[in-house]
Amino acid sequence: MSVSRTDELHGAAGQSRSFSFGEHVRRRPETITFLLLVAICVIVAVVNPAFLQPSTLIDIGRASVVMGLFALGVFIILAAGGIDVSFTAIAAFTMYSMTVLVQSYLPNLPIVVVILMATLGGAALGIINGLLVHHLKVPSLIVTIGTQYLFRGFLLSFIGTVWIMSLPPQMGAFGRMPLVQFESANGALITLPFYFLVLPIAAFGTWWILNRTLMGRAIFAVGGNADIASRLGYSLRTVHVFLFGYAGALAGLAGIIHVCANRQANPFDLVGTEINVIAAVVLGGARITGGTGTVLGTLLGVLLIVVLNSVLVMVGIPSTWQRLVVGSFILLAAAFFVTRQRKK
Amino acid sequence: MAAQAHTAQQSAALLELRNIQKWFGGVHALRGIDLTLQPGEAYHLLGENGCGKSTVIKIMSGAHAPTSGEIVLGGESFSSLTPIQSLAAGIETVYQDLSLLPNLTVAENVALNEQLVNANGRLARLFDRKRLRETAVRALAAAGLPTDGAFLNTIVSDLPLASRQLVAIARAIATRAKLVIMDEPTTSLTRREVDNLIRVVERLRSENVAVLFVTHKLDECYRIGGHAVVFRDGQCVAQGPIANYSKKELAELMTGRSIDAQRYRTGKPSDVELLKVDRLVADGVRGMSFAVKKGEILGITGLADSGRNELAMALTGVAPATAGVVALDGKAVSVRSPAEAIERGIGYVPEDRLAEGLFLDKSIFENEIALIVSRLANSLGVVDREEGRAIAARLSEEMRLNTRNLDLPVGALSGGNQQRVLIGRWLSIAPKLLVLHGPTVGVDVGSKDTIYRVIQALAEAGMGLVIVSDDLPELLQNADRILVMNSGRVVAEVDAEQATEDQLYKAMLTTTTETLQ
Repeated sequence: MSVSRTDELHGAAGQSRSFSFGEHVRRRPETITFLLLVAICVIVAVVNPAFLQPSTLIDIGRASVVMGLFALGVFIILAAGGIDVSFTAIAAFTMYSMTVLVQSYLPNLPIVVVILMATLGGAALGIINGLLVHHLKVPSLIVTIGTQYLFRGFLLSFIGTVWIMSLPPQMGAFGRMPLVQFESANGALITLPFYFLVLPIAAFGTWWILNRTLMGRAIFAVGGNADIASRLGYSLRTVHVFLFGYAGALAGLAGIIHVCANRQANPFDLVGTEINVIAAVVLGGARITGGTGTVLGTLLGVLLIVVLNSVLVMVGIPSTWQRLVVGSFILLAAAFFVTRQRKK
Repeated sequence: MAAQAHTAQQSAALLELRNIQKWFGGVHALRGIDLTLQPGEAYHLLGENGCGKSTVIKIMSGAHAPTSGEIVLGGESFSSLTPIQSLAAGIETVYQDLSLLPNLTVAENVALNEQLVNANGRLARLFDRKRLRETAVRALAAAGLPTDGAFLNTIVSDLPLASRQLVAIARAIATRAKLVIMDEPTTSLTRREVDNLIRVVERLRSENVAVLFVTHKLDECYRIGGHAVVFRDGQCVAQGPIANYSKKELAELMTGRSIDAQRYRTGKPSDVELLKVDRLVADGVRGMSFAVKKGEILGITGLADSGRNELAMALTGVAPATAGVVALDGKAVSVRSPAEAIERGIGYVPEDRLAEGLFLDKSIFENEIALIVSRLANSLGVVDREEGRAIAARLSEEMRLNTRNLDLPVGALSGGNQQRVLIGRWLSIAPKLLVLHGPTVGVDVGSKDTIYRVIQALAEAGMGLVIVSDDLPELLQNADRILVMNSGRVVAEVDAEQATEDQLYKAMLTTTTETLQ
């Protein structure tokens, strides 16, 4: 290599080292998500200081759990260049089947086993997705649209359509079990439920898999270009099965937590909220075309949507406006990310 | 004695292919290939596009399984290899598309595969970041690339093409390779980078690593030396030290017909001025002024960073100019977008035809009529497919496409034929000016010949052509005049009939303060 060419490359490397906000945002798009979130919180807190009360923050935390688990699953699939819209059906299927199973056949099943079985059941359904995506060689969007109908159809046709209002006691108890509990100024008891812990644990686990294992690097490699990844020796089958299995497990876990938290099992629940979750992941900076994104960004995207859901009311905006706001944010953020990428 | 020598050689061979056959559906791509590769030797796999070169390297690297035959690797016999088996045996491939993962960092692209191979392809393993960094630093240094943290963490899609090529080479030498296969490694490299690559190859050979090149650039093959292996129609037609063959002999072996490396340009430009560019400024172009006459072929060359690529994109609206005047037929025109350029009669055959020019999964027919669909449509917007097919058939005939099946996806064609489809598409709207950017990059000798003849015929018909290229023989054979660019400016203008390659190289390396004799 001639001196000048090397210098030129060193120069280019030096340039990227010098800090610039635009460059930072291009590499870490979740910065924008974070700034949006902060801006919204500041505005809302100014308009209505009640927002900063612990009870509001705990509500937000509680509301983030199910969506956050779903979003982690969507993100890991998006990172590998796929997309999944069947996760809500997986969650509905596992939560309702488990509730029926515990209520009618195994009333004394410990809650740990219930959660474990729901998670494994979700993983099994997810693996079906993964095998179908790999062997049919059909885009994962189509496969999971198909399996969403299949899982939901099976649930409603063969397992039941009855809304279960009184849960088995151990499930209800798990939903109420406190992690932190204190009395607010007005004397009301405020509880951060124990199940909230599941989200940070799952987020850490997902981060660890993606950044500290070969599987994680393989997922991003496949998201970058599946043909090249396979040529380099990454097994697409293993990656597909793991991905969808993992996302399915998260969906199963989210489903059972949803039931315990709401103290009722509605077989018609959850399905239909997929777009909301995908929106959160995309707002968190993951590209819909795959290969990019971070766990932190995904969590920020979830928080952004949850905060929007809960605070608009607090500043006097009708809840029906929530969709308008979320829609504009998605368009704005997406347009911003795209112009940043083009500038390069 | 001879038999003994033969066995001795066999046991020492790195890789041996025995009677390899490969069928793709009804296509017999390889018809019994026998090939023995020895450690520390350089091989040049030569042949026209579609002769089976790519298939054979994909069999060696485990991407394809042969239909029949035997692969002997390190004394062990296989009927086919997996990518992991091939990598574990030390066979590294630098593919023509580089096979880099665009969303990962330089360090990951260079050094992640070492860990994958060590884990035998199993993914339930921890990822060793320290080792990744060490391996990447070692390999990048060996390939002459920077090794600082900023470069290691650069996302590959942010790198210029030439650096990506070197990163791909760094990956190949990151592990203890025994055979490095390079599929057209020098197409996007400048002369200086090629010199660097040749040094890397010499070092590899001194460490007893065999190198197999697939290339169309014969001059480089002679510089590197070693063995020539010539393929034609899925068969090996010649093998031996490359010094024993002349360029003309190799070209004839590859094509099966005689090809003269004569000057294609026989016509003369008219006296009517077609294009006048005055003080054009764009990113990387610092005030270019020149003119092209009707029927004239203007060559433009320079190093990769000379601004030649940016000039081509500014002229055609791909990356519009920021200042200056472009006049066509004496009238100043604005070319702010490719659509506007097309409207003004300026056509563009881009350098990266796969990414910028062709719809790979669409048929030849659909690619050929892409520019004229609106003209083919009636008032209801329904496209007259019959007329479109007739036009596509005529264009394919003019471009001497080697298939009659217009429904074949363009992605299934060889590089030479793809380029013919792309040029054919422009013929459908008969532009006044056609800008060709690297028209024969990655194209074989036979297709080059056809493309050059078409270029000459277009000039003969009165079209003005600008060829932006780093293939100097190509410019010398085809152009009337050649402009040499450096640092965004013209540093020399030469008459192509009198100029020599050395003269052009000197001009390319000249800075603007020096003047050329």
